[in-house]
Amino acid sequence: MNCRSEVLEVSLEGRQVDEALLSLLHTILLHRSTGKFHYKKEGTYSIGTVGTQDTDCDFIDFTFVRVSSDELDRVIRKAVTEFKDALGNSGSDGMGQISLEFYQKKKSRWPFSDECIPWEVWTIKVNVVNLANEQERQICREKVGEKLGEKVINIVEVINRHEYLPKMPTQSEVDNVFDTSLKDVQPYLYKITYQITDSLGTSVSTTMRRLIKDTLAL
Amino acid sequence: MLLGEIFELVQLVFVVAFTVFLANCVDYDILFANKFVNHTDSSKVTLPDAFLPVDVCSARIRDNVFVIFIMVISGVFWLHRLIKFIYNVCCYWEIRSFYINALKMSMADLPYFTWQEVQARIIEIQKEHQICIHKKELTELDIYHRILRFKNYMVAMVNKSLLPIRFRLPFLGDSVFYTRGLKYNFELIFFWGPGSLFENEWSLKSEYKRGGNRLELADRLSSRILWIGIANLLLCPVILIWQILYAFFSYTEVIKREPGSLGARCWSLYGRCYLRHFNELDHELMSRLSKGYKASSKYMNCFMSPLLTVVAKNVAFFAGSILAVLIALTIYDEDVLAVEHVLSSITLLGVGITICRSFIPDKHMVFCPEQLLKVILAHIHYMPDHWQGNAHRYETRDEFAQLFQYKAVFILEELLSPVITPFILIFCLRRKSLEIIDFFRNFTVEVVGVGDTCSFAQMDVRQHGHPAWMSAGKTEASIYQQAEDGKTELSLMHFAITNPQWQPPRESTHFISQLKEKVHREATGGQPGNAPENHAFTSTHSLQSESEPRSLIANLLVGPPSLASLHLGREGSIINHLSIGVSEGASALRSLSPLSTSIHMRGSFPSSRLPRPDHPAVAAGRAMAGSGTDARTISSGSSAWEGQLTSMVLSEYASTEMSIHALYMHEMHKQQSRGELSRHTWHRQESDESSESVHDDVEAIRNLPRSNTFPFATTPNQEGAALQSSSQRRYGGTTDSLCGGPRFQRTARMPMGGWSEESQTGRHHEPVPEEGAEDELPPHIHKVT
Repeated sequence: MNCRSEVLEVSLEGRQVDEALLSLLHTILLHRSTGKFHYKKEGTYSIGTVGTQDTDCDFIDFTFVRVSSDELDRVIRKAVTEFKDALGNSGSDGMGQISLEFYQKKKSRWPFSDECIPWEVWTIKVNVVNLANEQERQICREKVGEKLGEKVINIVEVINRHEYLPKMPTQSEVDNVFDTSLKDVQPYLYKITYQITDSLGTSVSTTMRRLIKDTLAL
Repeated sequence: MLLGEIFELVQLVFVVAFTVFLANCVDYDILFANKFVNHTDSSKVTLPDAFLPVDVCSARIRDNVFVIFIMVISGVFWLHRLIKFIYNVCCYWEIRSFYINALKMSMADLPYFTWQEVQARIIEIQKEHQICIHKKELTELDIYHRILRFKNYMVAMVNKSLLPIRFRLPFLGDSVFYTRGLKYNFELIFFWGPGSLFENEWSLKSEYKRGGNRLELADRLSSRILWIGIANLLLCPVILIWQILYAFFSYTEVIKREPGSLGARCWSLYGRCYLRHFNELDHELMSRLSKGYKASSKYMNCFMSPLLTVVAKNVAFFAGSILAVLIALTIYDEDVLAVEHVLSSITLLGVGITICRSFIPDKHMVFCPEQLLKVILAHIHYMPDHWQGNAHRYETRDEFAQLFQYKAVFILEELLSPVITPFILIFCLRRKSLEIIDFFRNFTVEVVGVGDTCSFAQMDVRQHGHPAWMSAGKTEASIYQQAEDGKTELSLMHFAITNPQWQPPRESTHFISQLKEKVHREATGGQPGNAPENHAFTSTHSLQSESEPRSLIANLLVGPPSLASLHLGREGSIINHLSIGVSEGASALRSLSPLSTSIHMRGSFPSSRLPRPDHPAVAAGRAMAGSGTDARTISSGSSAWEGQLTSMVLSEYASTEMSIHALYMHEMHKQQSRGELSRHTWHRQESDESSESVHDDVEAIRNLPRSNTFPFATTPNQEGAALQSSSQRRYGGTTDSLCGGPRFQRTARMPMGGWSEESQTGRHHEPVPEEGAEDELPPHIHKVT
């Protein structure tokens, strides 16, 4: 609960899903990453440099800026491809959502595993539409491009609000806050999940989970 | 807490095992000496003789399918409790480490901290650690909202008479049935059960916030209630047996030892819900109610029925004479006890006599119901209007008994609860599912950093104030949105007084300061600077019995002067305390204001220290002399002298101040509603089967302001005549058929909530904003920051 939640909604055509999602996710991660920390002796640290690069989209009139880290790019691409496949296979009316959740880890005693406490959740709701002819597709390209531009500005506004960010950790606690597995960039700990929703807005897994939780609550 | 839970688990095992043992492994014939036991060495029958040998015992158990079934069910239940217990242990551990590490309170010091201090520390660490990331600073109201989220909803629902807990029974008249079992079921249905309205602990499911498919949601809720009712019905025998056994094991010893304790009274569950403020913690509520306990018992006891007294005296005489004979015989020769049934008859006669004695009133009791009712009001803060001035009537007393019931009645209701609850759920609650859905949709507000809370709990006078309760002109609420009985206003004052550091929103600040100023003026007006007197009697007496006590406060407290002296004489009498409390409170009120004379206050404060109960006048006199200047309250900000008092004392002062404010508000409301009597008093109907009998015509005839939450007895001959016309009016002009109870109608014409609005009332009301045409509107979430 103690977690900021932002929702972005986009209507896309089938081919645009990959790139649109990539652009949004990369934008968010750009602002939520730093260079690698190099800890020095007295508890201070220096931050490595991070480069940025522009990426063009083929199916949308849009260019976005992302962190120039191929590893990160690979990870995000994989997640987006998974989501797209799930969306394609689901057979529903093409609605789904993908969430990028930034969390902090809290070490727990045995026998409980470590807890992940989210502090910010970005949810991107995707609605896939099918367009009939080329002209509509052209209009769609431009419109989606504009829309994405607006969304990027939205994201930046939210991030600029200077609200809660986890405190900078000491060396021993770096792994609780940052994802140190990448070689050239260090984003906050994040995870990407997705949900293919049916018309009522629920999904089977959440219902089952809730049922079990509720009976325990009795 | 931990220990309590461990013992609960042990108790469960014990009850089941003991009962099974008693049912199967004891040879009662030997116990009752009906069978002869062969003993070689002694002729005494010992307890182990009565126990059957283990193999016989276990064979009997195994053969008895019913017992096996019960044991299986209890075993499953016990395992479930065990798991919950282990989970709770982990939660408690976390709480403990939060206290030690974050709040820096060690466990040894914890019993001595007040809630206010804990709260202050939480607010401090929020600034430092940001435990809530949505806002920079937490306020007291946020903390209360988080703790009391669901309780506020329940208080609001009872306040708006949404839950079916009042019934009109054929012989018993109006009665209230609200037990722990029913409460548990309500919470299960609304808040945390499977498929409940709340998605998780802090937010309502989003489909319930939109008006689009309310009918479908109401259907869903209705069927869910049906399933839960059926589940209750199926489990009813098991629960019933458990309740009976538990009551038997708990209370028999009490009955034997102190039979009069069952005649004692306690605040009923309904009473606690009705009298609870919004945003009032459990311990605050209990302390308030406990303070009013003595006066309430006195009030209930001072009604005597001469007929019953005479009968009780005579029964006690006859029983007592038989008992005396038996006791005398026993003293003479104790072998009498060995005779069959002597001991049991002695016990039964003793119990009977004690019960009879409880019906015989105290000879030295004075009948002063109005006075007592005022004192009770000072503590419980809520009272239906038609009790004022009618304290001596039996109807008032019977209605008060709904709030303050016999312990025996409480136990009886708990025993009957498993049987009655399913029927209430299936037949009464289902009818109200549409209203409930509307209630949750209309009155849920999302507060940043807190989640979804009841909008009544915001204590916003503009949104939910009642014009008859000092919010005339300030409130924009329609009748559907107003909180009854002045709950908004009184809760606001209570919260502001208990949490003086809280910064209310602007209009509320205005309301609070206005009210405080008025009360202040009254309090000081009634006590012009008297010269300090040494004698307790004269000083307080002069306080109360000036030639014409002009102030409202003095008006409230002054009884006939003889009464005042009578009460003054008694040690620790309630009225004495209250009057002293008023004088202390008045002086405290005066010195509470932060102004240029605060330095003067501080100087004079050491002299007007915490007055001891035996020197009330000296202290009061000193306080009055010390604060010679008349104080004008501007606002309730923290004042200079607060830092000198511990928060314990502060809370005591706070409760006195709140009592004064509550009394004042009730007086204002009474005056205001008397003035409005010429207008047609609107009465809100409850939509259950008893609502047919309550009419506006009868009210106008009765000429007394009626509270909207207490039904009152109507004379039956007026019912028939008024039924037709009022029912027509009730449905706001739509000519619905008069037959049948108010089944909830699925027409869009029916106002939301099933409540009608009178068109004759002069009061302004907008048509309830949510009509059926609103299907497409965006969710009604108000963001309150």
